[in-house]
Amino acid sequence: MIEPMLQVEDISVHYGRLAAVRGVSLTVGRGEIVCLVGPNGAGKSTTLLTIAGVLAPTQGTVTFDRSPTAGLSPEAVVRLGISMVPEGRRVFSSLTVEENLRLGTYGRSDRRAVERELARIYDEFPILAERCSMRAAKLSGGEQQQLAISRALLTGAKLLLVDEPSLGLAPIIVERVYDILRDLREKRGVTLLIVEESTERAVDVADRVYVLRRGLIELEGTSEDLADGERLHEAYFGFGAAGTSQETQQ
Amino acid sequence: MMDQALRWRSFLRLHATPFVLSLLLIIIVLVAAIAQNSSLDRTIVDLLIRVVFVVGLYIFVGNSGVVSFGHAAFMMIGAYATAWQDCCSMVKSFFMPALPKLMLETTVPPPIATVTSGLFAALIGLLVGAAIMRLSGIGASIATFAVLVVFNVVYSNWESLTSGTSTMTGIPAFTDHWVALIAAVAAIFIAYLYKISRFGLMLRTSREDEVAAKASGVNVVLQRLIAFVLSAFFAGLAGGLYAHFLGTITVAAFYLDLTFITLAMLVIGGINSLSGAVIGVISISALIEVLRQLERGIDIGFTTIAVPGGTQEIGLGVAMVLILIFRQRGITGNQEITWPFSRFMDKPGNALATFRARRLAQLVCSQRSSPSSAVGRRRHLSRVTKQGGVP
Amino acid sequence: MNSALQFLIDALSVGSLYALAALGVGLVFGVLRLVNFAYGDFITVGSYALIVPSASITAIVFIGNWPWPLLVIASAAIVVIVALICEYLVFRPLRQAPPAVLMIASFGVGYIIQNAIITIYTARPKAIGIWPGLTEAVAIGDLRVPGLQLVTIVVALGLLALLILFLKKSPFGVQMRAAAEDFQMARMLGVRANTVIGTAFVISAFLAAIVSLLFLCQVGVVSFHMGTQLMLIAFIATVIGGMGSLVGAVVGGYTIGIVGTLLQVLLPENVRTFRDAFVFAAVIIILLARPQGLVVTRAARERV
Repeated sequence: MIEPMLQVEDISVHYGRLAAVRGVSLTVGRGEIVCLVGPNGAGKSTTLLTIAGVLAPTQGTVTFDRSPTAGLSPEAVVRLGISMVPEGRRVFSSLTVEENLRLGTYGRSDRRAVERELARIYDEFPILAERCSMRAAKLSGGEQQQLAISRALLTGAKLLLVDEPSLGLAPIIVERVYDILRDLREKRGVTLLIVEESTERAVDVADRVYVLRRGLIELEGTSEDLADGERLHEAYFGFGAAGTSQETQQ
Repeated sequence: MMDQALRWRSFLRLHATPFVLSLLLIIIVLVAAIAQNSSLDRTIVDLLIRVVFVVGLYIFVGNSGVVSFGHAAFMMIGAYATAWQDCCSMVKSFFMPALPKLMLETTVPPPIATVTSGLFAALIGLLVGAAIMRLSGIGASIATFAVLVVFNVVYSNWESLTSGTSTMTGIPAFTDHWVALIAAVAAIFIAYLYKISRFGLMLRTSREDEVAAKASGVNVVLQRLIAFVLSAFFAGLAGGLYAHFLGTITVAAFYLDLTFITLAMLVIGGINSLSGAVIGVISISALIEVLRQLERGIDIGFTTIAVPGGTQEIGLGVAMVLILIFRQRGITGNQEITWPFSRFMDKPGNALATFRARRLAQLVCSQRSSPSSAVGRRRHLSRVTKQGGVP
Repeated sequence: MNSALQFLIDALSVGSLYALAALGVGLVFGVLRLVNFAYGDFITVGSYALIVPSASITAIVFIGNWPWPLLVIASAAIVVIVALICEYLVFRPLRQAPPAVLMIASFGVGYIIQNAIITIYTARPKAIGIWPGLTEAVAIGDLRVPGLQLVTIVVALGLLALLILFLKKSPFGVQMRAAAEDFQMARMLGVRANTVIGTAFVISAFLAAIVSLLFLCQVGVVSFHMGTQLMLIAFIATVIGGMGSLVGAVVGGYTIGIVGTLLQVLLPENVRTFRDAFVFAAVIIILLARPQGLVVTRAARERV
């Protein structure tokens, strides 16, 4: 049994007295692409933010590469090798593209590696190279997504947390974004934990899928197992594809 | 018969707060009256005047969430407005030559002068507030600080109206502990009525979430203005009472020290609650007295222990900062006192709803999260919430 | 022509002082959303740093006698230390607190510092003469201009240029600009919160010291409340300039300088002491017309 790279054990996260996440456990193995799906308000973003160190769990542990991340600040978690591509991209609109990219590199000591990786980014994403002195606010949605992903990569991350990469983007751009994400795993060996609303896209890109609903994991499985979608739908919506309440049936 | 009694009981429970607070103040006054100690007497009057001021401050700051650094200016405006009305009848034209002839010749009876001072301060509050309430919360706070400084500069320099930086004396004595008590109780009740009124509720929604409040149709600027004017009235009233208490006033007394002390009282008591305002005044006044005694020195027989001068102010500053760091909601936890004391509730005495909410929480937690129970849970949920509503 | 030049120099030198103070306030606000009510007392500390703590009527000048480079560095160092202590003890624990709480806390810190100064030095203002050469007039064409005014303008412009360079080119500057726009996201990219905030406080404190020394040279007297009115003007400058915008802070500072000097010239003799009130009235008018400030940037939103 391969040791998982990321191990989340039984975390609960509260906003005040409201429990957004109640006892979630998941694992991500090295080089895997794992998807976290679920309806709105399920606690998916909350889970990612907790792994990233922005939120603190009220109980449970998060372990990355055998180091516990409890109590670490977001900056420290980044240094461990986890980086986040947040919901809505959140690029710094008043900074240029290049400044955005370099922002994550100031903590790294190996400047030569940084310049090499930056050159590689510019190579793989010619749009960013073209607009490198332009303010990030002027990029289109898809270009901003490329920027957000590249920016996270440049922190030297081994695990990327991607929150709803398809949000607000046209389907054809979403395709491109997912191609990029797949490439990240193929060409660079980056591990990915992706939050996605669409079960179809999740099954398409991921090795394994977790379904989160109302703060709990309802279902877990490989994408082959869940390919037909029926079990996924039940777990996602709380009732079967036929539209009848699973609970009143019993 | 039973029904009437029950209704009275639940009414009192619901609205106990102003009664409890007033009772607290009455007890304090009675203790002072019995003790027959004149310096204690003066401290109590001072305390009651501060209650009027800080309750006024609460009306605006507590409900709007916007900090005001300018209310000391309104107290000053009220104090000097009082002086203009009933000070030094023989020599008024000597001290304040710039007053209109009518005012120079009239001496207004103190009770009326006090109330009109409050109204005058409220008028200034209206003019100032109309200008600054359109600013963002932080911008408005900075603007109130500007108001403080500017009025200080104006009053310090307008010698023909205010004697400038020198003391104005000769204001008749009128404020004794009964007058101050009446004013304080009135302030408490009016503040409470405002709080439970539509206006108070609307303003508090903007405190919680300004955007949502606006989207719900609340005219945030107008509501802030209403609260600002009402609180300026009480600040001015406190000024009038203060003038009739000391008999002398100076511009310097209504500047940063007063601003800080009263703000600290509100914050330490609990910035968002009326009880916090009153409790804050009482506890900090007590603390200041203790520190004042310590500065003077306590005789323990063979020697005197004293702390260095300045400890009072620094101690108060440290206390306020510590409260903000460790217990931001203040002594009262931002909740209102009610009756019986053991039941501090979020909203004044909403006992029945609290009970229902507790039952609901018990039910939800006791069930395992399994599908079969979900239906039963949902049915019960809808039944309970339909009936009473959760607070 | 001459009086126009005189007016310009007057306005610019006053505006420069205000702009520097406004920058000091704006930097910390941008990064921490803190309106630092202790800033006036930082300014005051900058001048009190020059004398030895004592209750005597005359100031015992110590650092104030050093050659000016050392004097500036020492004064700035002391203000920086005070600022960093405040940051560590008070503002750091309150980092997640809402802006209103931060404001009141800084007001409390300012109160403590002010009363500490009164306790140590007494409330009496004390005369300190530093750099007497600057009060002499310098000849420019037909004009005779106090050297201090020219120095103030040059210093301000120089520091502004340095700051722009710092913010645009240096890694710290980029991190600060990112943090001012979206602090949480910056942290998620590895930007150290403490470093950015500490840097902001250091620069802010340095500016406070400079403002303090220039002001002291002008008035010749140190008092426990000398920073209060400067701080107020700095606040107002950031508000009319547009909160969250450093450009706005500078614009606001110079605007108030120009308006103030204008009023000084235009107002009839007997109401001149109320000039500040008129400046305030002018500010109110500006704000009524444009409550969001003169310079509006995307980053100037308040956190909704």
